[in-house]
Amino acid sequence: MKTKLMTTLIAATFTVGAQAQTGPIRVGVVTPLSGTYAGIGQQVKWGLDLAAKEINGGGGVMGRQIELIYEDEEANPAVAVQKAEKLFQVGKVDFLTGTVNSGSTLAVGQVAERNNRLIATTVSFADSITADKCSANVFRVNARAGMQSAALADWMASTKPNANVFYLGPDYEMGRSTVAAFKSAAESKGAKTVGEVFAPLDNKDYSPFFGQMRSARPTVIYTSVAGNDTVRLFTQMAEFGLNRNVQVVGASGTVTSQNLKAIGSAADGFVTGVGYSTSIDSAENKKFVASFEAANKAQPDLYGADSYGVLFFYKAAVEKAKSTDTDKVRTAMRGLQWATPQGIKTMRAGDHQAMQDMYAVKVNGGKFEIVGKVAAATAIGPDACTKF
Amino acid sequence: MHDQAKPSAQAPSASRYFTWLFFLGALVFALGAGLVGDVFFLRLATEALIFGGLALSVDLLLGRVGLLPLGQALFFGLGAYVSALVLKEWHNSFWLSVTVSLVASALAGLVGGIVAIRAKGVYFALISFGLAQVVSKVVFNTRDLGASDGIIGVPGAAIFPGLTSADPIGFFLVTLATIFGLYCGLTYLMETPFGRQLSAIRTNEHRIPFLGFDPWRYKLLAFVVAACIAGLSGALYPMLRGFVSPELMFFQVSGNAVINVIVGGTGTLIGSLYGSTLLTGLKSVVGSFTAHHQIVIGLLFVVVVIVFPRGLIGYLSPLLQRRLSFRHATGRGGQ
Amino acid sequence: MSSALDWLQFVLAPQMVNGLSIGVAVVLMALGLTIIFGLLDVINMAHGEFYAIGAYGAVALIGLGMSFWWALALTPLLMAVLGYVTERGLIQRVFHSKDRHTLTLLLTFGVGIVLEDVLKIVFGANPLRVEAPITGATELVGLFFPNYRLFVMAVGGLLIVAVWVLVFRTSLGAIVRAAAFDRYMSASLGVPISRVYAATFAFGVALAGISGVLLAPIYSVFPTMGRDFVLIAFSVVIIGGMGSIKGAVLAGLLLTQVQSISSLFISPVWNDPLLFGIMVLVLMWRPQGLYGKLGNA
Repeated sequence: MKTKLMTTLIAATFTVGAQAQTGPIRVGVVTPLSGTYAGIGQQVKWGLDLAAKEINGGGGVMGRQIELIYEDEEANPAVAVQKAEKLFQVGKVDFLTGTVNSGSTLAVGQVAERNNRLIATTVSFADSITADKCSANVFRVNARAGMQSAALADWMASTKPNANVFYLGPDYEMGRSTVAAFKSAAESKGAKTVGEVFAPLDNKDYSPFFGQMRSARPTVIYTSVAGNDTVRLFTQMAEFGLNRNVQVVGASGTVTSQNLKAIGSAADGFVTGVGYSTSIDSAENKKFVASFEAANKAQPDLYGADSYGVLFFYKAAVEKAKSTDTDKVRTAMRGLQWATPQGIKTMRAGDHQAMQDMYAVKVNGGKFEIVGKVAAATAIGPDACTKF
Repeated sequence: MHDQAKPSAQAPSASRYFTWLFFLGALVFALGAGLVGDVFFLRLATEALIFGGLALSVDLLLGRVGLLPLGQALFFGLGAYVSALVLKEWHNSFWLSVTVSLVASALAGLVGGIVAIRAKGVYFALISFGLAQVVSKVVFNTRDLGASDGIIGVPGAAIFPGLTSADPIGFFLVTLATIFGLYCGLTYLMETPFGRQLSAIRTNEHRIPFLGFDPWRYKLLAFVVAACIAGLSGALYPMLRGFVSPELMFFQVSGNAVINVIVGGTGTLIGSLYGSTLLTGLKSVVGSFTAHHQIVIGLLFVVVVIVFPRGLIGYLSPLLQRRLSFRHATGRGGQ
Repeated sequence: MSSALDWLQFVLAPQMVNGLSIGVAVVLMALGLTIIFGLLDVINMAHGEFYAIGAYGAVALIGLGMSFWWALALTPLLMAVLGYVTERGLIQRVFHSKDRHTLTLLLTFGVGIVLEDVLKIVFGANPLRVEAPITGATELVGLFFPNYRLFVMAVGGLLIVAVWVLVFRTSLGAIVRAAAFDRYMSASLGVPISRVYAATFAFGVALAGISGVLLAPIYSVFPTMGRDFVLIAFSVVIIGGMGSIKGAVLAGLLLTQVQSISSLFISPVWNDPLLFGIMVLVLMWRPQGLYGKLGNA
């Protein structure tokens, strides 16, 4: 029965593939347009829309236009899976992207396996997606958590050698593992840990933790809270004068262009490790930032930039494979090099993780300035995927 | 047709029509979908049935006992996690994982019931809400349960030799049979003295002790039965989708189950299945057009609460009943 | 010895003061809930959304060029109008049915869903900022207090007292309490009962709105901001006794103290289970909460 099902599935993909060779290439986007991550979904959509417009204006992919089909996943893996299946089965998409939270990416990856299609995430940064939970059908074009930690730890070791670091993370598994990853990276470069505290997700008030923080007398405070939580944490730290004489650093999702305006001047001086900044000094990036701003009246952030880049990744792979067939495109994607606003990225064949230069960026007057850089090969870390 | 004198929301013959309409309609749908080789709609319908099972358990408490559960997703999620763990880590068998999930939900229902049943009315609603909040947060933070990522890679469950839950039409029929069994079992239970005690409790709880019954025990039993129905439905979820995540226990899921019941018709039991099917379909369609499907669902819900508080089946049932009685009286129809 | 004193002064004391400032916020939220429940028997599931609308109201008014103080004065009035309309237009319609408890709870639940999405459409999903009108901090006995927090605590305390005076020391309050105690009797004594209901609902909503404005500079403004308060505010109302003002104040202050002191010793992720455990224990001991209903005390 199982094999019978597989044959029907394969037959179905074959017929679809044969039909679709002439019409537009359909790319499904399952992304949170509502719910907690709606702001990230917005950047994903802006980036993709801009890339599709540019690709289609330049003659498309092998003469075929790209058609984007959006579905809202409400930041809920159960919804994401249902929508992904709809896009694969009814929307007949050739490729799918857009998932934000790691749970959605992992679950949608399974749907892709079952439907014999490929997906790429441009946002999820849990290391597991391209490590122990890797999949032959899943690619990641953005930098994962380990790469971000590496860049930040490198910057910290050079500017604040032997720092006393206090860690404040959101108390859930992802937040704890982000803190743990950075802690080991920092300690291996000589930093000392003077305290560690985890606040609940969606915490209203961080001031109860300030007593502990103050008495630990840190020189650096590391935090991996994100989104609305960062706004409250930074506002309250400024309110209590806690960020005076202390260097605040954090995860790449801690301060982004979505919450930067709401944090205001309290964000100044914050440093993070990240795969993208609007201030990357290259012609490609300047052109990208200008067209992004013209189209959306807002600056791109790492999510917008990586989502913009993913369509060029797919375009390059299809052109190399001369087909949209899953197996041929997968082969083409492995080891593929393609141009993005951040420069040339390389898709590592062994774990489907993109390699790219990483940056340490500092917030200054509402802008991210580059203060350090780590080469792609140093940042990426070992290949831990054993599934393919 | 001895019941035509009381055309209530629970009028048996009209509701029986709706029951047959639902399950026969589902079979016709399966046949059609099988003929055209569809996969997506079959699996979407399977999901609607699974969430229909959850709604059924909400209707048992809300419609038959008068307790509004705002955290029923707790048992649904529990069943889903237990089933996923059994399938992935222990033994790949539909029957085993369903049995273990049932036992686990019954135990959890007993514990949860002892905590929650003491409270009445809105207190019960808020306690059940809090209970689910607490447990979902614990799951969200437990690394061994996959924490926020959930558990992926749950294999298709082996049901019969040659049939796994990965087969869209086969698993749709198995789910349909399961939900049909749950529904029939529940309607049968409602006909027994136990069911009549429940409706007496719903009508006036204070009188029950004078009749020599302890309402607490009946309510607790109903709570455990509801937990089992929710847990069993949840057990089917990872078989369909191949993963579980803590979101399955979140308030969104509990709230949607309540919405399904209200829209379908509180206390009608079959209405919860109609409600779930209707809203699952509606969401799948509306979600593709606008990111603001919340407003659509929310407004629909508000309108139903204000204008049709008896819901779809609760509203249609008396109409159909009247027609049936009329046909019976004029001798042109009837059985 | 001196280290124990240090601990009291530099760890425990600030923790308790911070707990107090959260406590005042929670009490303000819970007061609106409990007053609405006390009189109307309505569990207002949309209360968190009304709190969010209050905060967004301030954002909008400040955006129009008003000062924070004008926004603080004006927003509660606008919120009261919104509450009045909601009560007359929606809640009244299901108020006289048999399942009033359930139906009104469900209705406000639906209203909450819609309101949250409307906020997202109008203001966007990203967080917004309201600048605190008072800056700087005061140092007292070696402790550090942001001035705006001191202000919020003072205003919150005044509001709580004002509500208490209004309900228990004015003839208006007497009418409300009478209506809560026996609505039929009050109606036959000539109390315009349905207008009293609408006005009370409006009052509760205005309280949520004013909390929204006051807390916006500390907690920031985003569409789902009300959800954070749901569990704790409901727990406070349940523990204090549904409809009891005294209970809400006491339970609100006590619970937030328990939370902030316990977070010194246990991982804060266990805060919610702790809160919930206390709620269940209180209910086992006193099923009606610490204090009775609005009509009685």
